[in-house]
Amino acid sequence: MDITFEHVTHVYGRKTPFEKLALDDVTIRIPSGSFTSIIGHTGSGKSTLVQHINGLLKPSEGKITVGNFVIHAHEKKKDFKELRKQVGFVFQYPEHQLFEETIIKDVCFGPMNFGISDAESTKRAEESLQLVGLPASFWHRSPFELSGGQMRRVAIAGVLAVRPQVIILDEPTAGLDPKGREEILSLFDDLHARLKLTIIMVTHNMSDAANYSDQVIVMDGGKLLLAGSPKHVFLQEDLLRKVGLDIPETMLFLNKVLDKAGSKDKIPAFTVDEAADAVIRILNGVKDHV
Amino acid sequence: MFNLVIGQYVPLDSYVHHLDPRSKLIGVFLFVVIVFLANNWLTNILMILFCFAGILLSKMQLSYIYRGLRSILLIVLLTFVLNLFLASGGTTLFSWGWFHVTTGGLTQSVFIAVRIMVIIVVTTLLTLTTSPIEITDGMESLLNPLKKIKMPVHEFALMMSISLRFIPTLLEETEKIIKAQAARGSDFTTGSLRGRIKAIVPLLVPLFVGAFKRAEDLAMAMEARGYHGDDGRTKLHQLKWSWRDSLLISALVLLALLLIFARN
Repeated sequence: MDITFEHVTHVYGRKTPFEKLALDDVTIRIPSGSFTSIIGHTGSGKSTLVQHINGLLKPSEGKITVGNFVIHAHEKKKDFKELRKQVGFVFQYPEHQLFEETIIKDVCFGPMNFGISDAESTKRAEESLQLVGLPASFWHRSPFELSGGQMRRVAIAGVLAVRPQVIILDEPTAGLDPKGREEILSLFDDLHARLKLTIIMVTHNMSDAANYSDQVIVMDGGKLLLAGSPKHVFLQEDLLRKVGLDIPETMLFLNKVLDKAGSKDKIPAFTVDEAADAVIRILNGVKDHV
Repeated sequence: MFNLVIGQYVPLDSYVHHLDPRSKLIGVFLFVVIVFLANNWLTNILMILFCFAGILLSKMQLSYIYRGLRSILLIVLLTFVLNLFLASGGTTLFSWGWFHVTTGGLTQSVFIAVRIMVIIVVTTLLTLTTSPIEITDGMESLLNPLKKIKMPVHEFALMMSISLRFIPTLLEETEKIIKAQAARGSDFTTGSLRGRIKAIVPLLVPLFVGAFKRAEDLAMAMEARGYHGDDGRTKLHQLKWSWRDSLLISALVLLALLLIFARN
């Protein structure tokens, strides 16, 4: 399911004193099966952008295509159920959406809404809960007895149980401890690799964006500023800084090393391993010169 | 989606804005009583003129006033039509079957429509020119004498300001949860009545859970900052009664006297 935005503009509160241009003529393509990260300063339009993909927001101008589903501006009321079945959305702090008496029932809520039979829903719910690593002993308890991290897993399972082709993540790791973050992100990385799901992640963490994605989209003031591979995007340090963003910490560290070695080079390295290798190369290089 | 005009305060620099909230509250209360004195054309025109004077002095754009009126326009229209047919007196202008429109009925319905509209205009003016905090401060101060008979006036005012403060927050939260559940295939807008009522549960439960959690956090934060109730609590913004406030009350008394003389 390729996703394309063509000249999409979104205005909040049109014709009121609070009118705000949230998206300004955005054209972008997100290929099927890719892992795309969207970064940008607070209020840059990241969340607004992704909420168009499953019809939670409708464009004021322009056109959005998700697989065979087309959303035009100025369109009459439309049934988005078929689209939402294909596009799962994990909101920021998704644990706030839990409501059922038991965890398993809550996870079944999505599939049952999309008309999947009780037995099949339960089967999918159990699979999803196993996928997010919540032991079976929990399944028949109330979701409100869980810890924050566990609640988030349940909420994510609730989205996975629908078996969407595309998953949108709006800051999925906000407020989690480092271990929880790592687990959630590798879960989606694994789904992406194994089931070829398209993952779109809104994040404030440059390292996460660099490490997991094939494509990074940079938003600024409702406009698309930059899009491309992590290497392409994070080598443009000055531009990123100008819009209040940063580069991954590994690159910050390498910049310092390069600086002290008297080099003006930039090396894209996103993992600690890559950074370590780069340091060795720099040190050897320096030795060679001396 | 939620373009409610709650807390529609518009900060400007005007005579009405600088009034003490207490005098504005008393003023609105007096005005609502005085309105019922008007019973002929002259007195109703006086009420309307008074309203316009208030709007002029507040430097408020008429469009904001209209937004306050718009929500009750239907009610005004309905009472107008009902009165038109039901009130009698004077000569008959028009009749159709059982319905008779009389001159007496017509003037009566105009007066009642004017009455409702001027009341809405002054209360809108109050909320447009006074921040919710000022209103609760004023209320608390006005109700102070009730403390003598052990009424929890301070707690009441606190509850009011906290509720006002959290209305926008809760609306935002509601919108978020609606979106989250819609993404999971829940449908709030179409389907049978039964289906729609069932779709409310996944909205209400998280909303209540969130509200309770927020209340708990707020209570904790207040305690951490040493809140201990009313005893010995001082205020950052002291209310001051000035010549302006006396002027407003005098104007209202004058209006009342004028109406008493001019009414039938």
